[in-house]
Amino acid sequence: MKKKLLAAMMATVVAATSLVGCGSGAAKKEAEEKKVEVPTEPFGDTVKYDPSVEINDGKDITVELWEWGSDDLFQEVIDGYTAIHPNVTIKLVNNPWEDYWTKLPLALDGQKGPAIFNIHNSYHENLINYLAPLDIPVEDLQADFTGVDAHVIDGKVYYIDYGMMTGSVYYNKQMWEAAGLTEEDIPKTWDEMREVAKKLTIKDGDKLIQAGLNFNDDFHQNYLLGLNYQLGENLFQEDGKTPNVNSDAMKKVMQMLVDLYEVDGVGSKDFGEKAADSFGQGQSAMVLQWGHYYNTLKTTWSNIDFGVFEIPTFDGEPYAYNRYNGESTFGVNKNAPEDQQAVAQDFVKYFLANDDAQVAFNLAMSTFPAKKSLADNEKILENPSLKVLSEHIDHYIWPGPMPSTVETSLKKAGEDIFFNGVAIDTALDEAQNNIIKDMKSSSFESVENLYTYAK
Amino acid sequence: MFRKTHPLQSRSEIILRNIVVTAMVIFFTVFLIVPIGIAFAGSFHEWNPLSGTYNFLGLENYKEVFTSALFGKSMLNTLIFSVVVIFFRVALGLGIAYAIYSALVKHKSFFRALYYMPVVTPMVAVAFVWKFMYNPQIGMINQIFGLDVNWLMNPKTALLAVMIMTIWKDFGYAVVMFMAGLYSLPADALEAAKVDGANAWQTFRYITLPLLKPMTLFVVITSIISYIQAYVQILIMTEGGPGTATYLSSYIIYDEAFVKYNFGYASALSFVLFVITAVFTWLSFRVSGTEE
Amino acid sequence: MRRKVSVIALNTILLLLGVVTVYPFVWMLSSSFKQNSEIMALEQHLLPQTFVLDNYVNMNAHFNFMRFFANSLLITLVVTVIVVYTSTLCGFVLSKYEFKGRKLLFGFVLSTMMIPWCVTIIPKYSMIQSFGWMDSYKALIIPAMFSGFGIFMMKQHISALPDEILEAARMDGANEFYIFHRIVLPMSKNGISSIAIFQFLWTWEDFLWPYLVINSEEKQLLAVGLKMFNGQYSTDYGALFAATAISIIPVLLIYLFFQKQFIAGIASSAVKG
Repeated sequence: MKKKLLAAMMATVVAATSLVGCGSGAAKKEAEEKKVEVPTEPFGDTVKYDPSVEINDGKDITVELWEWGSDDLFQEVIDGYTAIHPNVTIKLVNNPWEDYWTKLPLALDGQKGPAIFNIHNSYHENLINYLAPLDIPVEDLQADFTGVDAHVIDGKVYYIDYGMMTGSVYYNKQMWEAAGLTEEDIPKTWDEMREVAKKLTIKDGDKLIQAGLNFNDDFHQNYLLGLNYQLGENLFQEDGKTPNVNSDAMKKVMQMLVDLYEVDGVGSKDFGEKAADSFGQGQSAMVLQWGHYYNTLKTTWSNIDFGVFEIPTFDGEPYAYNRYNGESTFGVNKNAPEDQQAVAQDFVKYFLANDDAQVAFNLAMSTFPAKKSLADNEKILENPSLKVLSEHIDHYIWPGPMPSTVETSLKKAGEDIFFNGVAIDTALDEAQNNIIKDMKSSSFESVENLYTYAK
Repeated sequence: MFRKTHPLQSRSEIILRNIVVTAMVIFFTVFLIVPIGIAFAGSFHEWNPLSGTYNFLGLENYKEVFTSALFGKSMLNTLIFSVVVIFFRVALGLGIAYAIYSALVKHKSFFRALYYMPVVTPMVAVAFVWKFMYNPQIGMINQIFGLDVNWLMNPKTALLAVMIMTIWKDFGYAVVMFMAGLYSLPADALEAAKVDGANAWQTFRYITLPLLKPMTLFVVITSIISYIQAYVQILIMTEGGPGTATYLSSYIIYDEAFVKYNFGYASALSFVLFVITAVFTWLSFRVSGTEE
Repeated sequence: MRRKVSVIALNTILLLLGVVTVYPFVWMLSSSFKQNSEIMALEQHLLPQTFVLDNYVNMNAHFNFMRFFANSLLITLVVTVIVVYTSTLCGFVLSKYEFKGRKLLFGFVLSTMMIPWCVTIIPKYSMIQSFGWMDSYKALIIPAMFSGFGIFMMKQHISALPDEILEAARMDGANEFYIFHRIVLPMSKNGISSIAIFQFLWTWEDFLWPYLVINSEEKQLLAVGLKMFNGQYSTDYGALFAATAISIIPVLLIYLFFQKQFIAGIASSAVKG
């Protein structure tokens, strides 16, 4: 018995390993066959990259680039760069997303940290002390990219956004048609949205069969931290440090969410535990999701026929449509050896000037390009989740790299309201106090006042 | 270096003892006392290793620990969690081990291997699998029992659900430990009981169980230590929610240390938790009446 | 007759419990052959509706699976062997030798197990950095050479060994090194098998420490690779389950292998001998 079991297990190991072996060979071959075109003329808008300038005096040098999860995307940019500078080797190190943020700051604190690393602005405070300012003039960056102002610290810029991500409504076209709805019915206001959601809801007695709208698990990111702007209220008070999450606007948004489930009955806290999955499972007709969801639908839920429309507003003339968040450009490690830093700086410049790379990164992340010259790029507008943003993209606000407690505290508040029977006022007050406590020693300052149409 | 207490103490004994004790002392000093000392000092500071903050706070962090409602709640959750899970782990482990050990069951190693499978599976994967099983729409638990419960989001069932998963994952460990204990029982004691005409229950109650006491104590203590430090299942299955319903103390420490980088506060929490663990361990020794 | 009923009843209960134990496991294994959309689909089936090997094949897209696997096996075996040896040695000294401070030392070893790992990991990390052990297996092996748990366990086991055997050997002129290697070690098989099983599992599973101290991909361990499937916006369940399924094989094998020793160890235990 035992021997048989052992034998079976050994067989499994052997089978699995040989399988894995095949996979790797094929993948490598493909990569080798790809050819890279080498530009010789300077390219770019204001920030220009001149490929004829030698880097590191033509001597061989190796630098590390750390990122999470998108090897192919990065490898393509690296290949383009090293084709120009064959003396440079850029070693790509892939990390698991969550743990990246534990390891990276620790590594940067020592001598052996990577010269270049991918940044997410939610970890701004953990990284800013290790960043070298970009040696590109701030005015040049401002000329080419939107949202640069928010990244200026004491006249210097350490990283900017290559793309802006925000929320739009995704709807299931099949359910839409089945409910007798047409293009004409696409809601512009939240009142219209509620009516449409009711039409899309299917019930068997009291039991939900199909939710008209689902916001489970991500309501805090997609509704609470964004719709306040439509009502003209910022997330932070005027001092830029005190949160403003128990404002009347926030209460109104929260109340609307509660009403959607409990008065309109277009969904339920217990129906489809994650809105994003539930839409993919064909159980919920509409979800408000951020840009990355487009990719999830394309890869995981490819059999769902979906459409996208712009986020509804309360009155058609919002102060801003929603919050956005930037996908950041790479950081340069200020503790890295000087020659490595020079390569890193040059690499960032190459990335910013290179339109193909900018388009590729924005499409991969489903973010709207921050590079102004790409706002009407054909490939970008082919992506429906980006197309719906193009008209009002200047009417979105970035509050700055908020500490994660803002999100998590509001999620707790929402869960307390929906699941633990806590009153809206109490829950939001508690969230407010929690955030104040957690941000006691934070250096965060809101940049909501830098919004183009700020009051 | 050490007092000579043994009349027959030989040179080789002294050499071996000195080598071993010195190695242990050096090792534990370098890799435990020093880091613990650094952390202990840090618990009196506002300490963020990333921004380089290190400001003396005195007892502020400890004050915050004892006034934090969330920590109090998490302690209560940890207590419930540990007591329930340890109880079922020991009860199931002992019961199953005894059943396999008895002459009534043939395929002993088959069962032992079977129950041990969850123990060797990484918690991360297990937690994800169970999260799927608890899903109110697609999960098999609701489907099998014909229920409509949102297990992980209902404050009444969330902690229970995590406890059930943990028991499932860990009872095999107790089975194996008790098997080991049962196999090393002195055969003559059991023989004697048989000769005296004790029935199966009496043998178990008055002979086997007392003889298994050291092993039981061992399982209980290692369980206390590991459950007071449990957080992975919370991180993956509930993130402490709904609201703060399933916060365990270690989850707060993990959150403060590796999400918020409040190292000072996290260290203070850890030392409070350490003292509590020590007290419970001591209590288990006391209750069982074992010296040392 | 009564015996037959209890045999059937007991075996049925054990088998039922076995099903409960294995079912989630089977689900995981079966899901590793499904596409993610099927794993999360509304219509759930135990067996894959579309059988795909992608999750196994794609593993290499994330990391060099075989390399990680070999590294993990090497490190885990080395650490397990060292820990088994040091634990038995320390357990022997702490249980069979009388000296001042023995209880204190043992109490201390016991209490070290209760310090939550999160607090000591950062100071430990900076120490490893200043020793210059980053990105080297020294950082994985040396801080793991002694185990509080192992010492605790071996002390309990060895103190049950009858002193007479050791005394007899001493009378025959055996020195302590001989006694330890030729008498205590072989007689502690029972305890050794258990720590070996646990230590192997812990080292094999340990994620955070190797991830922090090892940078080069060619030195990285399997447990770190398993985390690669936790993405920023989603988890690649199929791949996670596939990698998990393969990664637990060695641990199960070690268990099955040592299980024999376990029983053999008891048969030749000091009680009978």
